[in-house]
Amino acid sequence: MTTAPKTQVRSLDDPLLMVDTPATIYDAVPPYPPQTEREAEFYALRGGEMLINLGPQHPSTHGVLRVVLKIDGERVVDLDPVLGYLHRGVEKICENSDWHMVVSHCDPLEYIASMFSELVPVMAAEKLLDVKVPRRADYIRVLACELNRISSHALFIGWLALDLGGLTPILYGFIERDEIVEMLAALTGQKLLFNYMRIGGVNGDLNHEFLSRLGDWMSHAAARIEDSQTLINENEIFVKRTRGLGVIDRETALRMCLSGPPLRATGIPYDVRRAHPYSVYPELEFEIPTREEGDSYARYLLHLDEIKQSIHIIDQVLHKMPDGPIAAKLPRLLRPRPGRAFAAIESPRGQYAVYAMSDGSDQPFRLRIHDPSYFNLQTVGLLTPGHLVADTMAIMASLDPIMGGVDK
Amino acid sequence: MAQRHDTTEIRITAGAVTDVMRTLHDDPDFRFRLLADICGVDTGTTMQVVYHVWSDATPDWLRVIVVDLPRNDPRLPSITFLWKGAEWGEREAYDMFGIIFEGNRDLRRIYMPPDYVSFPLRKDFLLPDDASRSPGMGIRHMEQAASPVGAPVRKARTD
Amino acid sequence: MEVTPGVDPTSDAEATPTIGAEGTDGDAVTAIAMARAGTVAEPIVVPNAIWAAADPKAYLGGRVPTVAHLAELEVGFDRSDNARWSGALEVIPTTADYVLDLIRVNSLWPLLSGLACCAMEMMSAATSVNDMDRFGMFPFRASPRQADVLIVAGTLTTKMAGPLIRLWEQMPEPKWCVAMGDCTCSGGRYKRSYATIQGIDRLMPVDVYVPGCPPRPEGLIYGMLKLQQLIMDRRGHWRDRVIGPTVPDGV
Repeated sequence: MTTAPKTQVRSLDDPLLMVDTPATIYDAVPPYPPQTEREAEFYALRGGEMLINLGPQHPSTHGVLRVVLKIDGERVVDLDPVLGYLHRGVEKICENSDWHMVVSHCDPLEYIASMFSELVPVMAAEKLLDVKVPRRADYIRVLACELNRISSHALFIGWLALDLGGLTPILYGFIERDEIVEMLAALTGQKLLFNYMRIGGVNGDLNHEFLSRLGDWMSHAAARIEDSQTLINENEIFVKRTRGLGVIDRETALRMCLSGPPLRATGIPYDVRRAHPYSVYPELEFEIPTREEGDSYARYLLHLDEIKQSIHIIDQVLHKMPDGPIAAKLPRLLRPRPGRAFAAIESPRGQYAVYAMSDGSDQPFRLRIHDPSYFNLQTVGLLTPGHLVADTMAIMASLDPIMGGVDK
Repeated sequence: MAQRHDTTEIRITAGAVTDVMRTLHDDPDFRFRLLADICGVDTGTTMQVVYHVWSDATPDWLRVIVVDLPRNDPRLPSITFLWKGAEWGEREAYDMFGIIFEGNRDLRRIYMPPDYVSFPLRKDFLLPDDASRSPGMGIRHMEQAASPVGAPVRKARTD
Repeated sequence: MEVTPGVDPTSDAEATPTIGAEGTDGDAVTAIAMARAGTVAEPIVVPNAIWAAADPKAYLGGRVPTVAHLAELEVGFDRSDNARWSGALEVIPTTADYVLDLIRVNSLWPLLSGLACCAMEMMSAATSVNDMDRFGMFPFRASPRQADVLIVAGTLTTKMAGPLIRLWEQMPEPKWCVAMGDCTCSGGRYKRSYATIQGIDRLMPVDVYVPGCPPRPEGLIYGMLKLQQLIMDRRGHWRDRVIGPTVPDGV
């Protein structure tokens, strides 16, 4: 704690209170001298400009992100995202815990796509331990991951429409997502933070309830996607508000370290499942959907394409599922060899990577989690200036950030 | 090509960062256009910064480790002139370790509040209830309890 | 391009080096200070020497800012909920109170305060499959001035604690607070973190705790129904709600 005079708490509702409320860190203009060039340039207002605080609590459902907008009338001139409102210190906690415990610490990072955020540290540990994952476990992992990808994309579509004001698609998205996560709950026991991946395999085998729910879902999955397509795709308001908004070109996308759907919507066919294959993806046939325009509408359409590809992958996995053990036998006390490992996968938001360093003991020496939402979110500062205030949320929603991952 | 267990890595010093990264990015034989990750590491005795880059000419990533940054004043040039997207990665390394990237126009704290004074991911920043000595760390206690000399003192939890 | 071998505890040649070992190269590298059991290491303070303002009088006239990280929540702070509605009605419960409580119970408007993963389950509780609208809780207000219930869903970090307290204080009486999820009940899986608040009852009076990581939507709905019962039971009486865990010390 810093040494500051201890102030007595007064409620802000107290009518006798007319004190000079001390300026705090959540006012629009920070109450300290600017620490960097960029901060000084941002907080210096020219004539007619105003700073608006799109505070950490706001109706957009990405989580607690604070954006300070510098606006001139209705046009955004510049913006400064302030992160850290959900920083939970996961990397430090992982350094103090076991290699096995890392799974449950890492799954709330990308909380709607937990399978991915659990899979990556497990893959890094497997690289350090040189563990061979049984084939059935790999197939189950792919199945669970693709199901989670579909539910995450369904939510993305719902949130994109919600941020533009449409209240119906989010209900459809949640129906889709609830059905898929009930299925995954039958498999893993949890609806959201699955805690399913283990170093060397997965936690539980496919069971009857999961398979029957999966069968029911597969029978109408494609039709449901068509439904949500007809609801939003040709909707005039949606198209007008997203087409041509937030256009990124290829060179900028690479310079801004984008990955995932925003990168593929600019035309670069970089998908970690094909560029750095892992698990059983080399044996599966699927395409990498790309779009050329690079605007929000293209990103939205790309998510729909990806859902279709995921359904195709699930189909193949179910046909090819081999028998066998679902996890390699590993000791409870895991001491990987000293070394470094970098593992990356394709999560619904982009390239999710973990750089794990081991010093030979049973605790990770450094577990660096590279979350795609964090780097994708920087593009917001590049795309929004020039557009209207209402477009800020549209652009942010189309980049699909999840604040759990952004803030770690 | 499946993901390899042994990624190629090169180690450089802080002075060589600008030249090396520019060569990797611009040289037509290398074409390392994609920056996959940038992070800081505290090895206990020194600091490091690790970049992972990828080129469409190679099947795997290249790990560039900037070694031997002094712990009391870790500085190195920023690579935001090549990848603007590395700006927040460098901010995070500054916030968590105190590593200063010269040339980054926006090097301020990103996760912690702006008036925070420590750097959380350093090895000498200990969590208030250091997990490695706490009763929750089962394996360690099992090992230490087996030898009477190393048995830990159990103190009452006061939080 | 210079390549130098670094002293690296993770290098493959070494077996199990300990952290804090003396540097093996010729320089005098001091071992980092490891805390003895029971003490806490000093924080490392690196002053801001990167950039200075061109105009030293800008921003507070050059004074050093006294921004304290949650100073208002330190010792010496009143543990009871100050923003209380007091009136003559609290002495004798009347039919009017009963009717008012019934009205309030059946249209509790939550504030959108979804912070993290539990927010997904809160949204799931609010949407079609588990519908909270049938209890009257459909409009998730964005503005605290229009909300009745603050459902804190998700981990509360120290940076977010200030805005959350502001939101709580901006909500007009009568207001209630529901702590959803393990992180808000007691810190949850982030018990050892340096940046989270170990349970929101350290900051605001909580009426209903809904445990779970995350609790199922049915669990949240059960918690809200419990809250409805609680409101009906109070019948216009506003008890002295203490901020902080009410379990006696030593328990």
